Amino acid sequence: MSEGKTEGLKEANDALQGRREFLKNVCVSSAAALVAAPASTGAAAETANPDADVTVSEFFQGHFLLMSDEEKKQAIARLEKRYSAQYRKKTTVSNVEAPDGVLFGYALDISKCIGCRRCVHACVKENNQSRHDPEVQWIQVMKMPKGNIAFTAENLDKGYPEKSEFGDYGVQVGGNAYKTAGLSTEDAQNYYNDELVPDRDFFYMPVQCQQCEKPPCVKACPVRATFRDHAGVVLIDYNWCIGCRMCQLACPYHARRFNWGEPKLPAEEMNPKTHYFGNRPRMRGVMEKCTFCVQRTREGRNPACMEVCPVGARKFGNLLDPESDVRRVLATKRVFRFKEEFGTYPKFFYYIG
Amino acid sequence: MNTVLCFARDFGSYAIKGGKMYYSWLLFLGFFILVGSYTAYIQFTEGLIVIGATDQVTLESFFANFVFTAHVAAAAVLVVAPGYFYHRKDLKELAVMGEIIAMVFVATGITFILFHMGRPDRTWHIVPFIGHMNFPNSMLSFDTIVLNVYLFLNMIGVSYILFKKYVGTFHEKQLATWFKPIVFLAIAWGPLIHIITAFVLASNARVGMWATAVLPFAFLSMAGASGPALVVLIFLLARKFTDLEIGNPAIDLMTDIIAWSLGILMLVFASEFFTLLYPSAEHANSLVYNMFGHKGLNHYVPWFWGTIIALASCFIALLFRRVRHSYHRWLPLVCFVVFFAVLIEKPMILIFPSFSPSPLGEYTEYHVTLVELFNVLFVWALGFFWLTVILKGAIGILTGEVRHHSAPAVSPDGMRGGM
Amino acid sequence: MNFFFRHSRIPVHALLSILMGGLIAYGIAYAAEEKPVETKIAQPVTDCFESRIGYSSVTRIENVDPNYGYPNVKCSQTTGAVLWWSDPFSGTIPMGEMPKIGDITHGDFANAVVRPREPQLTYFNLGPNGCKTCHDGKIVPFPRNTKPRLIGMHQDIVDDSLKLMHGRGALWCLDCHSATNRNHLIDRQGNEFSFNQPQKLCGSCHGENYIDWRAGVHGKRIGSWATGGKKRWWVCTECHNPHTVQKARFNQLKPEPPPALPRGMTNASYERDRDGHR
Repeated sequence: MSEGKTEGLKEANDALQGRREFLKNVCVSSAAALVAAPASTGAAAETANPDADVTVSEFFQGHFLLMSDEEKKQAIARLEKRYSAQYRKKTTVSNVEAPDGVLFGYALDISKCIGCRRCVHACVKENNQSRHDPEVQWIQVMKMPKGNIAFTAENLDKGYPEKSEFGDYGVQVGGNAYKTAGLSTEDAQNYYNDELVPDRDFFYMPVQCQQCEKPPCVKACPVRATFRDHAGVVLIDYNWCIGCRMCQLACPYHARRFNWGEPKLPAEEMNPKTHYFGNRPRMRGVMEKCTFCVQRTREGRNPACMEVCPVGARKFGNLLDPESDVRRVLATKRVFRFKEEFGTYPKFFYYIG
Repeated sequence: MNTVLCFARDFGSYAIKGGKMYYSWLLFLGFFILVGSYTAYIQFTEGLIVIGATDQVTLESFFANFVFTAHVAAAAVLVVAPGYFYHRKDLKELAVMGEIIAMVFVATGITFILFHMGRPDRTWHIVPFIGHMNFPNSMLSFDTIVLNVYLFLNMIGVSYILFKKYVGTFHEKQLATWFKPIVFLAIAWGPLIHIITAFVLASNARVGMWATAVLPFAFLSMAGASGPALVVLIFLLARKFTDLEIGNPAIDLMTDIIAWSLGILMLVFASEFFTLLYPSAEHANSLVYNMFGHKGLNHYVPWFWGTIIALASCFIALLFRRVRHSYHRWLPLVCFVVFFAVLIEKPMILIFPSFSPSPLGEYTEYHVTLVELFNVLFVWALGFFWLTVILKGAIGILTGEVRHHSAPAVSPDGMRGGM
Repeated sequence: MNFFFRHSRIPVHALLSILMGGLIAYGIAYAAEEKPVETKIAQPVTDCFESRIGYSSVTRIENVDPNYGYPNVKCSQTTGAVLWWSDPFSGTIPMGEMPKIGDITHGDFANAVVRPREPQLTYFNLGPNGCKTCHDGKIVPFPRNTKPRLIGMHQDIVDDSLKLMHGRGALWCLDCHSATNRNHLIDRQGNEFSFNQPQKLCGSCHGENYIDWRAGVHGKRIGSWATGGKKRWWVCTECHNPHTVQKARFNQLKPEPPPALPRGMTNASYERDRDGHR
């Protein structure tokens, strides 16, 4: 028994010795590796990270809507200071409230849209999106075939089944099936790069946040970072968003955009007149989307996309004012909501003027 | 308190000791942990732009793997349930292993969610009272609660069982009154976490593949297939490398569960595919993209057919007794294939192709980046590391090799490990 | 494990060196994929146009709003189109009196401003008296009647005066341009209007669009969204070239560039393939 015990002890001692050696080797090699690896990747890691300036108080700030007036002032002052330093120009972050008795609505005439994409780029000029890596654009224009090119005689005998005892082709599926005509996202092109627009055989439809009355994104957010204000605009508190992207999953209009990386916004392009919920520069890992230019509309001005449309296809106004452009459109034109089967009740209306 | 420290020390020292294979396995995991810590650093400093997710395909491999860990965590209760509901004594002894699997996989799932988030530093925003949790509305808030509760329940269950066995007092009359209810709650909670995870996906009406009533059933049947598959593999490994006694009946029960689950899964798939493909309306576009590709974008087609054929073959294979009882060749192979087929199904069938067409008609192929791959492997390696170490310690306690100096070598009722 | 280390340290060191080497290699590989250096922002475009190329030009002026350092307009690098105004009312004048025609606007255009058209007209700005510089009755005599005939001048605007692309043969130049006062437009009742108020002429025939325009449903107004607020209206000829409307009510434009492809996609050719089954 004692022999076994001595044996056992010796074994244990050897084992211990072996383990110490092993650990020593691992430590030495790891240390060397850890030193070597960053050195070799020093170039890649060198990105000027403005997030480094975020103070502890900004990290600990709560949800903006639940803050007291004093806390809101402090939060805004912090942001103004940070943005002014980061972009080397005096930046204001407004906190103006939405006007009372107003429900913002939008109407877009798809018979007039020519697909020039100026709305997309005007929005980018106004709202301080990341310009590349990732390139964020809140508006996306679809180019859809009109259908006049969808039907041909050659397709008549291309149906399924090809030949049947009924003597004709395509008893079940006609040869001219699977061709979209008119408004359908199925053959929509989002990356068209035509020389001149409009292309006569297509029509165009820009899509941005529809500012739903029953927004699925607001319901899905686990921290209530996105919410509807009393003027009907769905907004995001960028400092509260945790970047889980449940809202992006829920949105049936592909309206929400995520800052996958640190936004790349050159100082020359930055618009320094910002609003807390609107166009102030975002940080990485948070969601953003069209806010109907809250920094403009809360002060009485039209959104940037509406101002730039060269054919006047876009109308904006107060849905509660019967004299407004949008209400007039709703009263006199054939209006529809995009994907209304989702029951989201958007306040963005499309019409054929 | 002294006893608890002894327990921790004995448990820990037993857990990190082992043979050559054991250390090789840990070293293998260590490699991925080391490389993964670097890629994790890259992701947490540069942001999610280093992974392959885009606005069009917004869920990445982390989320897909999270759903898979929820599968296994939910199904680990299938090891615990037979012991407590059906008086299967052999499985009652092994119940703690199921709870350990559940606990580790839930923790792994939560880690995957941290990698999925854009701002993991803001996780405190979701904690009730400190942050703001959008409780009854957001399905993710439900998921957060149920996952953390499940983790908590299993941590309590595991620590209690192991500690009690360590000191040799794991007997019917010496157990706390809250123990059995906790175990029962954990058993019921397992499927619950999985149903909630299914609801997190199913609540999005715009993704045609997920907004279906069949999703919780698909998840639970896949859980019932992949969870016990892992359990069978672990049992077979434990039988081979340790002294733990695991009888064939225990393994056979797990295999039965896999076979039944795969059968139900076949029905679930058939039902889903039929409902979508017969009328072939716009709802079916994602599935058709997955099965046949779309105008030259064929990336997901081989994955779809490979996975479905693998699952169907495993189901048919498990119908043969020769396979079910081939504990050294066919059974581990089938379990391995089931585990990996369900794992692959998550990103390649459930998640990535479902985003195409996007609401505006875009089709996108998702390409996993190197950083993303290594981060996934990092989290898996961490998970398997903890699983291995904790299971090793637990097996030590179950076989009686790790016991408090005051505990009897064999318990009074003659069964090793007690109860 | 003891066996392992007692008898050969080489495998351990080998494994660890491979680990280290792997890390370094990975690091170098990642460093090689680093993002491109920030490109220098190109000089902003200064000659921009709003709706019609050549007839709605704006010149960008830096720092008109010293509060924010805003230029007056921001234009597209690729097309020269104006994309953004710092002040929607810059360069505008009041629209002027508008008739009350019993529509919902009640002729209340008190807060309406327009950008004057006259500075945009090439020939108007060739001389000190506008068109009268040449069309004073002496250098270019006034026509004896307003019957259509071929004209040898201004062929850059209308290449064949007998085939004016407006009205399908029912109109020619002098139906809209005052024969005796080329600085003004004229309607069939002989009323003359400035080029800055083309709506009064166009609306006399295109009544439905005129009514819609007065209501804000046709055309474009920027500025305030509130009813009764100050708005800058686009007048007819700011968007439509009256000499070519039969070819296109609105001329085709070069579009702005498409969005970036999603990461992982190399092209979007699939969306142009309309012959594939699904």
